[in-house]
Amino acid sequence: MTGNPSSAPRPSRLTARDLTLAYEDRTVVEELDLDIPDGKVTVIVGPNACGKSTLLRALGRLLKPRRGAVLLDGTELARLPTKRIAQVIGLLPQTPVPPEGITVGDLIARGRQPHQKWWQQWSEADEASVSAAMERTGTAELAERPVDELSGGQRQRVWIAMALAQDTDLLLLDEPTTYLDIAHQVEVLDLVRQLNRERGRTVVAVLHDLNQAARYADHLIAMRAGRIVAQGAPVDVVKAELVEEVFGLASVVVPDPVTGGPMVVPGPPRSTDGTSESEGVLGDADGGGATVPAAREAAR
Amino acid sequence: MTRGGAVGDISGVGGVGGGRPAGHVVLRAGQGSFLVHRRALVVGAVLTVLLAGAGVTSLCVGESFVAPSEVVRVLLGMPSPDQLVVGTLRLPRLVTGLLVGAAFGMSGALIQTMARNPLASPDVIGVTHGAGAATVAAMTFGLTSYTVLPYVSVAGGLLAALLVYLFAWRGGLTASRFVLIGIGISVALGSLTRLLVTKGDYLVAQQAKTWLTGSLNGRGYDQAAPLATVLLLMVPFLLWAARAQRGAAFDDDTATALGIRLGRVRVGLSVLGVVLASVATGAAGPVDFVALLAPQIARRLTRTPHVPLVCSALTGALIVVVADLLARRLLSPLELPVGVFTALVGAPYLMWLIVRTRSSRSGGNA
Repeated sequence: MTGNPSSAPRPSRLTARDLTLAYEDRTVVEELDLDIPDGKVTVIVGPNACGKSTLLRALGRLLKPRRGAVLLDGTELARLPTKRIAQVIGLLPQTPVPPEGITVGDLIARGRQPHQKWWQQWSEADEASVSAAMERTGTAELAERPVDELSGGQRQRVWIAMALAQDTDLLLLDEPTTYLDIAHQVEVLDLVRQLNRERGRTVVAVLHDLNQAARYADHLIAMRAGRIVAQGAPVDVVKAELVEEVFGLASVVVPDPVTGGPMVVPGPPRSTDGTSESEGVLGDADGGGATVPAAREAAR
Repeated sequence: MTRGGAVGDISGVGGVGGGRPAGHVVLRAGQGSFLVHRRALVVGAVLTVLLAGAGVTSLCVGESFVAPSEVVRVLLGMPSPDQLVVGTLRLPRLVTGLLVGAAFGMSGALIQTMARNPLASPDVIGVTHGAGAATVAAMTFGLTSYTVLPYVSVAGGLLAALLVYLFAWRGGLTASRFVLIGIGISVALGSLTRLLVTKGDYLVAQQAKTWLTGSLNGRGYDQAAPLATVLLLMVPFLLWAARAQRGAAFDDDTATALGIRLGRVRVGLSVLGVVLASVATGAAGPVDFVALLAPQIARRLTRTPHVPLVCSALTGALIVVVADLLARRLLSPLELPVGVFTALVGAPYLMWLIVRTRSSRSGGNA
């Protein structure tokens, strides 16, 4: 719908200002500011319970902020009709539940919901978007199968297809690779990056695997205890020091033999082996990764 | 693709590359386009034919037999010697039964969708028992007119439902809380009703018992007219509900992601279900099990991922019409309450459907 950036180019369509998120009386994220770079793949990483999924839920208006706001094109999400948001932001929750007995084709077609009215339930645009989404994800041949009968990998592709059929400029994915084997993980992540490269879609994903995050992200956000510890290009962010700080894990960061990007290998660096480049860059704080001192959080 | 015409093309089976969900047809009319489940369309047509057959049969059969041709003449408004028997005696009762069945069927469909539970029905959420308690209370105070009692029972049903909302509401409506509170209130009101029946004198107790089973004896246009009016007024809302039901099958997060306000949908569906059940109960008493059985039977026939609203209405109507035919004729001249037979008609069929699908395909309700 809104294919090219209108009038003035904005750096970030989706931003968070002074965002505090809480469940009942437990504060998970506190006073967080964030700009999601347009047209990039942003990946949020961090240890369990660091608030990364909570943050993503708030970006997708699944969670109302306690304080502060998430802004879409400068307007608070809370002030926008949820259907309008759904025309711009696609969102795949962590464990979506399909209607019982639904077929793949039917489920993917439900992605068109935000573009439909009750008296306009099927248009040419609907048809085209659903076809394209199926083709993209290789789900066309599954169209008549019930979703309940699919394998985990197929199912995840179907959910992604549904989110694609929604035809949004932004796509939020909450741990899209959980429950998948490594081949399917790579398949899903390749697909996500392809979507970004071809259509210039902005993607925000929460991932568990730091190496996958480093490999697929244009922009990496590392969180710990509800705060952003570092963000920037993976090469600037993924350092042994940061891994220690964020995950409390001793590691060596080496170049990925395939991509040349940073790759985290758990375990303390061997002193005999001085080639490890992570040792060399440990000290210098790169300008790209604005490092927030969060050591006191770690101390608790 | 092709514009104009009332009916669009049928989706290609095995249509790889076609985006339209398999098994659906698109009906177009002017600016409007409607995505309709093809099997539901066929099932709906078959149910309509069966319903027409059952209706005509029930107009033919009675203390005296009337030929179908005469029945059709009366229905078409042509002069006939059987005008009195068919048009004045049997037709009003049939119309009431049809409307009551349709209303209960839709009510069950909406409440089961809202609660995401095939066991939910107006019995569970307090409506039926509220109506029952109010009506029996009115009877014990000497109110026996079938023209006035419906309003008492509607008031009772709505009041009970209101109570359920008050207790269940917590900044929104969650399905399980709604159902649990509903069961609690139902049980309390059920005891109250039994207390009234036990304390009341013999005649009142007898009358109350019949009413509580659900009966079409002596019911006619006095009961059908208000029910028809309410149903007619509800048509726009039901059109909304038929579509909203599709979204209600998702979990909260996925629904929100698709721009569906599930909280509102839940409230909307449940309120419609409550009103339908209340007015239907007012007309014929809490006809047993129709609201529970009809939607599940309809869903198994259509194989849709949601409970189909229109087919639930048709199934409900069919169950009540057939059950009333049995109630009238099986032990004639004795007329039994229709509620005795609704479960007898519907339950075995539903069980057969469940057993059959289990053997042919794995995967059941969560």
